[in-house]
Amino acid sequence: MKIPGAADRIDDATFEQILEMDDDEEERDFSKSIVYDFFTQAESTFGKMDSNLQAKDLKTLSELGHFLKGSSATLGLTKVKDECEKIQHYGQKKDATGTKDLSSDDALSSLQTAIDQAKKEFKDVEKVLKRFYHDDSSPTRHQFCTPNQEIPHHDSIHLLPH
Amino acid sequence: MADPGLLRPHDQPVVVHLPQPQPRLDDADDCNGLALDLIRLTPVPTLVLDSSLSVRQVSDSFLDFSGSRVRERTIGLHVDRLFDQPNTLPSLAAAQRALRLAQDTRRPYELEDVIHPLQGRWKAWSIRVVPIFRHAKLRCLHMEVTDSTEQHRRQLELEERLSTSETFRMFVEAVKDYAIFMLDPDGNVATWNTGAQLFKGYTREEILGKHFSNFYGQEDRDDNKPGKELADALRDGHVEDEGWRYRKDGSRFWANVVITPVYRDGALIGFGKVTRDLTERRKAEEQLVAAYEESSKLKSEFLANMSHEIRTPMHGMLSALPLLLDTQLNPQQLELTKVIEESGEVLLQVINDILDYSKLASGSFSISTDIINVADIIQSVFRSFEKCSKPETVLEYHLDHRLPAAAEGDSLRYRQIVQNFMSNAVKFTETGYIRIDATLVEEDDDSYEILTQVTDAGIGVPASVTKALFTPFTQFDNSATKRYKGTGLGLSICKSLAELMGGHIGHRPNPGGRGSIFWFTAKLKKVKQLTIVGPVQEKLGAITIDTPISPFEDIRLAATGKRILLAEDNQINQKVMVKTLESLGFDKVDLANDGKEAVAMVLREVSAYNIILMDINMPVLDGVSATREIRFAGITTPIIAMTANALKGQAESYIAKGMTDYVSKPVDRKRLAAILLNCLEQDSALRPLLTR
Repeated sequence: MKIPGAADRIDDATFEQILEMDDDEEERDFSKSIVYDFFTQAESTFGKMDSNLQAKDLKTLSELGHFLKGSSATLGLTKVKDECEKIQHYGQKKDATGTKDLSSDDALSSLQTAIDQAKKEFKDVEKVLKRFYHDDSSPTRHQFCTPNQEIPHHDSIHLLPH
Repeated sequence: MADPGLLRPHDQPVVVHLPQPQPRLDDADDCNGLALDLIRLTPVPTLVLDSSLSVRQVSDSFLDFSGSRVRERTIGLHVDRLFDQPNTLPSLAAAQRALRLAQDTRRPYELEDVIHPLQGRWKAWSIRVVPIFRHAKLRCLHMEVTDSTEQHRRQLELEERLSTSETFRMFVEAVKDYAIFMLDPDGNVATWNTGAQLFKGYTREEILGKHFSNFYGQEDRDDNKPGKELADALRDGHVEDEGWRYRKDGSRFWANVVITPVYRDGALIGFGKVTRDLTERRKAEEQLVAAYEESSKLKSEFLANMSHEIRTPMHGMLSALPLLLDTQLNPQQLELTKVIEESGEVLLQVINDILDYSKLASGSFSISTDIINVADIIQSVFRSFEKCSKPETVLEYHLDHRLPAAAEGDSLRYRQIVQNFMSNAVKFTETGYIRIDATLVEEDDDSYEILTQVTDAGIGVPASVTKALFTPFTQFDNSATKRYKGTGLGLSICKSLAELMGGHIGHRPNPGGRGSIFWFTAKLKKVKQLTIVGPVQEKLGAITIDTPISPFEDIRLAATGKRILLAEDNQINQKVMVKTLESLGFDKVDLANDGKEAVAMVLREVSAYNIILMDINMPVLDGVSATREIRFAGITTPIIAMTANALKGQAESYIAKGMTDYVSKPVDRKRLAAILLNCLEQDSALRPLLTR
């Protein structure tokens, strides 16, 4: 089952597994509840990330990255997962792949970028998923904010690092 | 004292008496004749000289031997005149010297005179002079001259031989870098050199007579290796071996040993044994090999890392391109964008190939053993190509109905080979057909061998290059590179993959005329059927006699009544896992939010859980520490690690830390089912032993 507009944001096979657990293919109660739980979890995690970034608490940021990586991976939200993995590594003062050491300053600035990017990826995939679950409520209810909020859909996909 | 007058000059007429040697009873006469005979008839060339060194008597043998001399002319001659014939007699100097020394010392004197003439052969003479005194006054000199050439030659040879063997003996004794020694025919040590003493630590006295198997390790001795080596040496004339040998103090060294049987006149007198200490060389070789492996591993890792690094921005580029194509582009821009897209795809393929290739080259590539359904794979590949094939080509597939619905294998890699064959076939076939065939060629108790072939009616492969088809970086036609893009790595990767799956790969021309057949075989293990005691199994067996049980059915059967503990801190993952486990038939799943909770729950009710699923990164107490505590409490329940850090080699590290198996996140349902099934099987096999 393809998710319209998912492109490479969602890993088909993984998400399919979740969908297969739905008892009713029209209602999709189970997968919908999981996905919406994830939205809530992501929002709160991003909120914690913001405050810990202020407090420059790298260790907690890494843990938060790992935490959200786990659930986004379970849902197959590839791009969010990738960014969370970066947050996990940067928080450990490692580079994006976790191989080279970074200075605290570099780690913090990379964290800022990665968190922003993670939020963007999340927003994109959230839109796709909401459309899939026929929910048109506005995404602006989220507590966190991103600098480029009002930019149209296509442009908001930052595929290359800035 | 009676003087027989033997030596007086006027005794010459005595010679006249000889023709009629009437024996007389007179003592003096008898004595005279005897003395005369003694001188004249002795076979040793003899002279009798008076004190003035003139010849008084001479033997017939001397005359014969000195050639032309006549007795009459010889008698009375002074020695100086007699020895002036260098070719037939010793030198005068030697004769004079012998005479003088005999007179001076008043004792018999003997010397050897070796003459090396300018021409002709050398000769050796032995001169013996016996001075005879009467009343302390020199009466006469008895001189014997013998040709000792032959004797002298033999003497020289003997000396030479002795000296050679002595030199050799000293040489062997002194060699320090080799242990060189002889064994007697039974293998007991017969000689011992310095090198042997240095290598092996035994002194000559300690080891002589002991059997050489003392130098071997216990295992070699148990195998009778020493005896076999002697037998081999006898049979082949020589035996060479490398291995550990032991010193007197028990330490060992890596030795190169050569044993040669030694014969004298056809009879075995023993074995020569030469041992070298190669410990240092072996160490150096090992270091060299290690360094080589390290550098080759680094190279492959570098390649893999680089490919990975390039892949990320490539993905970005390729994802952005369709968006660009969606925008308003004029025809020229559209064409250029399409060129970028196409080239980008080729580049990505190249990078993926290099990544695979470097992994294969470094040996870090492994084939997973999931459940594989060959028919599904082929149908799915077929569908994907059907969509994008040229209208002039016809695609078809044929599946053997005996193909197993489930076997152990790596679906992804199987698909990769089929896909590669298909993309080649599609690439090189402008019109005509392309067909995939999959057949079960062999089946035994443990495995299936499946042959998959892709037949096309394309341009075919020239016979001259078929051999090189599966070597890396080859493309059979450089001009083809321009027309047909590709890396030249694909088929070599397929070859490695097929070999990893226990199969082979090959190509042959399409017997139907144009085109090629690419084929590969793979050995797939049969899926182990779960054995459940009791009638349920029999009933099931009866029902499903023709339809193999799918892994999910297996797990559902096995899951009945089983209890699972899931330790996971993320609620989303908890929900999904619980649901997944329910779908696999586990209706009793308990939750722990961190490692500490998990440990407490397990300890509260020992043996309540059949399986524990353990997230690695959890707050309070992580999965590895929790596992350690559970194991420390002596609980052997299977623990399956779950983590998103899906790095190769980590599975082993978790298992080393007490976990039973490993599943990566996002959790694949089939893989999880297979692991759970495996754990339950092991558990049910162990449980009767553990519970009283």
